[in-house]
Amino acid sequence: MNKDILVIGGGIAGMQSSLDLADMGVKVHLVEKLPSIGGKMAQLDKTFPTNDCAI
Amino acid sequence: MLDVGRHPNISLMAYSEIEKVEGHEGNFTVTVRRKKRYVDEAKCTGCGACAEKCPTSVPDAFNTGLGTRKAIYSYFAQGIPSTHTIDPDFCRQLNGKKCGICQKTCQADAIDFDQEDKIVELDVAGIIIAAGYDVFDPSQIPEYRYSELPNVLTALEFERLLSASGPTDGHLDLPSDRAVEAEIKALEKKIGKSKRMLEKFEKKFDESSKQFYEKYNKGDYSDDKDRKKWADKYAEYLAIMEPLEDLKKKAESFTTAKRLAFIQCVGSRDFRFYPFCSGYCCMHSIKEAIIAHEHENETTSRIFGMDIRAIGKGFEEYKIRGGNNSNITYVRGRVGEISQGPNNNPVVTYEDTHERLVKSQEFDMVILATACVPTIGIIELAKILGVELDKYNFIKTSPFSPVDTNVPGIFACGCAGAPMDVPESVAQASSAAERAAEIAIQLRQVQNVQF
Amino acid sequence: MPENRDNDVRIGVFICHCGSNIAGYLEMETLAEYTETLPNVTFVQRNLYTCSEGGINEIKKAIKEQNVTRVVVASCTPRTHGPLFMSSCGEAGLHPYLFEMVNIRDQCSWVHMQLKEDGTTKAKDLIRMGVAKAALLEPQEPIMSDVQLRALVIGGGIAGMTATLALANRGYEVVLVEKQEALGGMLNRLNKLGPVMTDASGFIEGITEKITQHPKITAFTNSQVTEVQGFIGKYKVDIETESKTRNIDIGVIIVATGGRVFVPDGLYGYDGKKVVTQLEMEQLLKKGLDSNIKNVVMIQCAGSRNEERPYCSRICCQTAVKNAMLIKEQIPDARVSILYRDMQMYGVENEEMFRDSKAKGIRYMNYDPEKPPEVKPVAKSVQVSVYHSLLGQELTLPADLVVLSTPVVAQEDAVATSHLLRIPVDENGFFLEGHVKLKPLDFATDGVYLCGSARFPANIREAVAQGLGAASRASIPLSKGSVVVEPIISVLTNEEACRGCGLCVALCPYSALEIQNTEKGRKVHVIDVACKGCGVCAATCYQHALSINSFTDQQLEAQIDAFLEVS
Repeated sequence: MNKDILVIGGGIAGMQSSLDLADMGVKVHLVEKLPSIGGKMAQLDKTFPTNDCAI
Repeated sequence: MLDVGRHPNISLMAYSEIEKVEGHEGNFTVTVRRKKRYVDEAKCTGCGACAEKCPTSVPDAFNTGLGTRKAIYSYFAQGIPSTHTIDPDFCRQLNGKKCGICQKTCQADAIDFDQEDKIVELDVAGIIIAAGYDVFDPSQIPEYRYSELPNVLTALEFERLLSASGPTDGHLDLPSDRAVEAEIKALEKKIGKSKRMLEKFEKKFDESSKQFYEKYNKGDYSDDKDRKKWADKYAEYLAIMEPLEDLKKKAESFTTAKRLAFIQCVGSRDFRFYPFCSGYCCMHSIKEAIIAHEHENETTSRIFGMDIRAIGKGFEEYKIRGGNNSNITYVRGRVGEISQGPNNNPVVTYEDTHERLVKSQEFDMVILATACVPTIGIIELAKILGVELDKYNFIKTSPFSPVDTNVPGIFACGCAGAPMDVPESVAQASSAAERAAEIAIQLRQVQNVQF
Repeated sequence: MPENRDNDVRIGVFICHCGSNIAGYLEMETLAEYTETLPNVTFVQRNLYTCSEGGINEIKKAIKEQNVTRVVVASCTPRTHGPLFMSSCGEAGLHPYLFEMVNIRDQCSWVHMQLKEDGTTKAKDLIRMGVAKAALLEPQEPIMSDVQLRALVIGGGIAGMTATLALANRGYEVVLVEKQEALGGMLNRLNKLGPVMTDASGFIEGITEKITQHPKITAFTNSQVTEVQGFIGKYKVDIETESKTRNIDIGVIIVATGGRVFVPDGLYGYDGKKVVTQLEMEQLLKKGLDSNIKNVVMIQCAGSRNEERPYCSRICCQTAVKNAMLIKEQIPDARVSILYRDMQMYGVENEEMFRDSKAKGIRYMNYDPEKPPEVKPVAKSVQVSVYHSLLGQELTLPADLVVLSTPVVAQEDAVATSHLLRIPVDENGFFLEGHVKLKPLDFATDGVYLCGSARFPANIREAVAQGLGAASRASIPLSKGSVVVEPIISVLTNEEACRGCGLCVALCPYSALEIQNTEKGRKVHVIDVACKGCGVCAATCYQHALSINSFTDQQLEAQIDAFLEVS
């Protein structure tokens, strides 16, 4: 039985999945196509409805 | 993002792609291609000295092409990992020209022009697809003339203009004006060169070019070859200087965009393209209008939509606040056409369905709330994983098991499954983690207690 | 007062060039020379990159060879590199909390790029302040506390049941508490579930069976939680069941108390017979509609998006469209009109159902909230008049049945629950999550999680997803078995001074403080695993009784004094 999990995509969804699993003690391999993780959300200036920074 | 990069249980493979997946729930073997960056990840400290010295500028994808980056680059300033990457399409060295400046600059000795792709095999119990989405390309809609009209932008492009770390430092400079400014810059560069050439002549003959040129035009020095060359160069200089001064004069009156139009459902709720609703774009436009107003408080915005879908927690209140405090008006109606008005100002022609009138209005800038569409790589990825897609190419799930795909052990979350906003994506990401954990963690043997 | 440790304080300062990020804009040599003159500084080194392997080795070497007993790194932000430097100190045998970081990149070279001299002066100030604080640093030990491997789920609707099953499938014990006599929550009162039109009752039966048969799950119905004490990992919960009150040890708590449907008394002639709510419509559809019903009018936003309830309740439009289609299924020649403001059919599935409904002949009429529809009784039926804002005309629609789409509102006992668990509610009475964007299923307080309509109205897909997601979040402390907290927390350093006034307790955003009756009277007690070290309490306490580890009054005063010296 393998115990690791593969997460494909390093946007907000992929990052959150990875963090949850990693915090549970599961080893996660996070694969992202672009040079850095962050996804679309990193491109946003601020987010609704709180106008907080996106990153 | 930082937590992901730092977590001891997360092995991060950016700039990598899934090549092959074999096996089944509990026992998958995955082949990953780690693409060559031409930079040693272990050595690069992300300091950016290489990018500062790199002579090649290319359009910056992170800034939706609105700014430039170098051929060696970090994807964005706070990107994780901060490892730089050489763009093989533009790098001079990799295209057979003499350069290698980055290699000379790098004090960490991280540049490696001979790097090769690495193939990595992973054994995993389960897989989570969080492949995200693409933004609809509005140039497919002829009546909005996105590719022709400079001051018609997508919502994501507008986002980069609003960003303090974006190409305009957060100022709503008009793309048409930025084009003129770029032209001025290019002409100034030429003028500089030309001036330096003239200075050589001026020094040699100890006379200003202007004085000389007046005499030359009177017919003096007609047989002097050197002076003829000087005269030609001065004529060239004047030919650049005149349009440059005109442009500079024009640029004096440039102002930032203050009259904004937001057009909803661009590519979505449209039978020609995608019939579904992307869910978040109404709020995205409202947010952009509110932030634009925060930047300059005389900004006015009109949001053209069919239904304004403010369906999340605090969203309707946010929409109303935008109307009351941020000069936003909401117009119920679909925009039929965008045309070119004076000074590159786009003119929006629409039906106001409440007044039952067709109207036209001029704006400084038009922002298209483009649809959230399946990401281009998803078809190939689904094939590799054996995962079923719906008729639009989103990953198919059921309302009763919202993150399970048809393949046991493979889960999906976020916009790969359907368009959704950030909190829904985050919630689904945790759901997918839960389902994956059920496979990855052996069941705990805890004594049952009866109460 | 901490003892005078001047004798064994030997501070090593590492000044990072960060390639040219810092060195390009500050006078590094001047900076290093200046640093050498500071009190207690015994070692100064400049590094090209202090964070690189070479830089880290230099720190370790200085600890071992130069006998440095405090380390200061002047470089970038502690957010990215603080943990690395701290653990490196630890690896070299120096206590990790005897480390201090000074940010001369973001705060000097970046923001004062054009002002080399001023930037360098500011960097001198910051280093001087860092050194002054470093001299007073004390070792701190991480705080650890066990977690009871048992979860409590409050609310047995679909979100709560999903969370319960998920945690139990992971091997954890779960106690599920439901107020009503049956599990299922709102779903017990629904007919079919959109957009796939599955029978709600069959769906609920399936899950209920799984729950009742699961060996890890104890489900209490007709029961409620009456008392919650303790903190993450160590809650003591009183559950009042029909027969008795039990006190159970709990590690984590999931709030899945759901919402209720607003009853529109006095609105649009609501009488529960000719004018009903969508929820009542579900039961009528389940029983089968009276075939004499030929005209149905639905009114959206009945009691929502107004001054009293400004929010959009998210799921009423999809419910209306679903029920309209089911009416057409039962009575194909019925005329169904939906009077709406905005049709909130977000996403792929909803919009598709919306389109299908139009093809089936459901009629949609846009109304203006300034001129809302009016419902008048006439003979045996009712009549709805509405100003159709797209036609610009007043229309009169005959109706055998008027269906009001009323919002989901917070549970009546939501405020009581919020007091019980010390969690906040928002202005509409729904529970307020840790962060509306990034922490939708957590609370600011660790150990308590949220899902379903208790957070905000959710459809079946969303409620299931959130149930699973809350289970994931709650399982993190369970799978660790203990909570480890950074020791940068509040400490009652001067117990004498504390008067037990409770001001700090009221202001603590993490419910980490409580007043206890001790032999010396009322005193504040810090629940150390719940404390996040934000410092609100220490700043508030007018008696200076509370202090934050590594940010003590003495340390901050030393920094301020150092700042006021002229460099």
